[in-house]
Amino acid sequence: MNPADNQIYIIIFSTLFLGGLMSTFVVAMVFIHRQRQAQSRQKMDQMQAEFEKTIRNVEHEIHQETLTQVGRELHDNIGQLLSLTKLNLNSPKPEKQSEGREYLNQIIKEVRALSKTLNLDWLESISLDDFIRQQLEKIQSTGFCQTALESDGSFLELSKDQKLVLIRVIQECLNNAIKHAQPDRIDIRIAKNSQSRRIEIQDDGAGFDPSQASTGSGMSNLKKRMETIGGKLYLTSEVGKGTHITLELPF
Amino acid sequence: MIDPNIWIAFGSWYLIILDISLLLSIYLFFKLPKEKRANSTYWLPFLILCHFVVYQNFGAYTNYNFEFKKAVNACLGNTENPKFNLWLYNITERQILTVLYLFLIRSWLEPSMKKYINWMIYSFVVIALILQITKVELMYTEQPVIFALGANMMLIACGLYFIQLMTNEKYLVSNPLRLLSFWTTTFLLFNYSLTYVSSVSLLYLYRVNPVLGKSLFQIGRVMGVINISALVLLIASAFLTKLFDREPLYESGR
Repeated sequence: MNPADNQIYIIIFSTLFLGGLMSTFVVAMVFIHRQRQAQSRQKMDQMQAEFEKTIRNVEHEIHQETLTQVGRELHDNIGQLLSLTKLNLNSPKPEKQSEGREYLNQIIKEVRALSKTLNLDWLESISLDDFIRQQLEKIQSTGFCQTALESDGSFLELSKDQKLVLIRVIQECLNNAIKHAQPDRIDIRIAKNSQSRRIEIQDDGAGFDPSQASTGSGMSNLKKRMETIGGKLYLTSEVGKGTHITLELPF
Repeated sequence: MIDPNIWIAFGSWYLIILDISLLLSIYLFFKLPKEKRANSTYWLPFLILCHFVVYQNFGAYTNYNFEFKKAVNACLGNTENPKFNLWLYNITERQILTVLYLFLIRSWLEPSMKKYINWMIYSFVVIALILQITKVELMYTEQPVIFALGANMMLIACGLYFIQLMTNEKYLVSNPLRLLSFWTTTFLLFNYSLTYVSSVSLLYLYRVNPVLGKSLFQIGRVMGVINISALVLLIASAFLTKLFDREPLYESGR
């Protein structure tokens, strides 16, 4: 075999080798893609299941919170009104009986308002800004601390699930502030930039050390919940200097 | 009476298929809505196809008009082999077509991978220019270094596409067998790998074993027809929505 023949064989074999190599490469790529696709689908299903679980939990917690509030209202407000009504209606004086009838009308109104809160339909009709305003007004009306809301309305458009999770997270943040921080003031600021919208919850209470494990579990739960709706929760706090929580949601 | 040499130059099965493909793609492209014609998903394959068919016909013309070919060769300093028209294929196929194909693959990649293709295009153009200006590789004869460089970059670009196919969320939810970008990349990969060795050793093969040289040259032609068919399908994909899926990174306003 002369050297020219050798070279020709090398050319033919190299071409065949490269062709074979590329065929193997493409087939391998398709198989790997299929495997990764299956893994990705599994991961997506898991995430979806986790999301649905979070939403169910949030709905359950809001129900519980509402029931507690209804119980409190029945005991503190409607119960008192009913007692007053009974007293007035039992009185022989006509003006007292008339006052009792007015109380009855008020009770009817209160019960109607209360019954509306028992299902979650109110969530659809209320905006996040209105919800926050109501919560802050409640806190302020108890005389617990001063509150303020500043909003540019950037959270007015939300899906039901996003609103549900945000309401629960905000409720929890406010509950934590009231329970543990004893602040004189709670400020909530809603604003947006080009990429995301933010809710900042600032209190001037006792604060805490975020690195301590005992304080971290509740917060990590809230962080996870924010992640399920594609958002983020950032927390900064220092003992004696209050707590600053940012809830961020991309557009 | 028509010159019989015209039929010899332009009447090969290869050129007839290419010309029909061009006519078909012109019809399909101008049937597309205006906003789709402005989208690189459609105009880039059309541009490549036009470029491909025009230079192949121009190559046939240089074979038909020997005096023209001889004059161009003389202008480039090649008086030794006036029959060569490698200068045409060096510029249009090994350089411009490679850059256009790199742009095509780039259009299917996510922004983080596009930057690698950008660098490959810049470096390929600069190196090819330097090699030709310094006359390390002459324009009128074989350019193995420039071809190998372009072919390697094409293989890397195809590799990047396949990496993205396995890592990008949008590609992971799609079926690659229904993606024209997958088939086009696969054909390009085969085109450049199958013609790699024969293109680098083209003149040697024609000198030592012309029969084998011509046979291997036919591989390039078959791959050329397959690639052109893929380009026609890319243009026609807007009308073939039942056969092919939309590209995962398709942006309507590009």
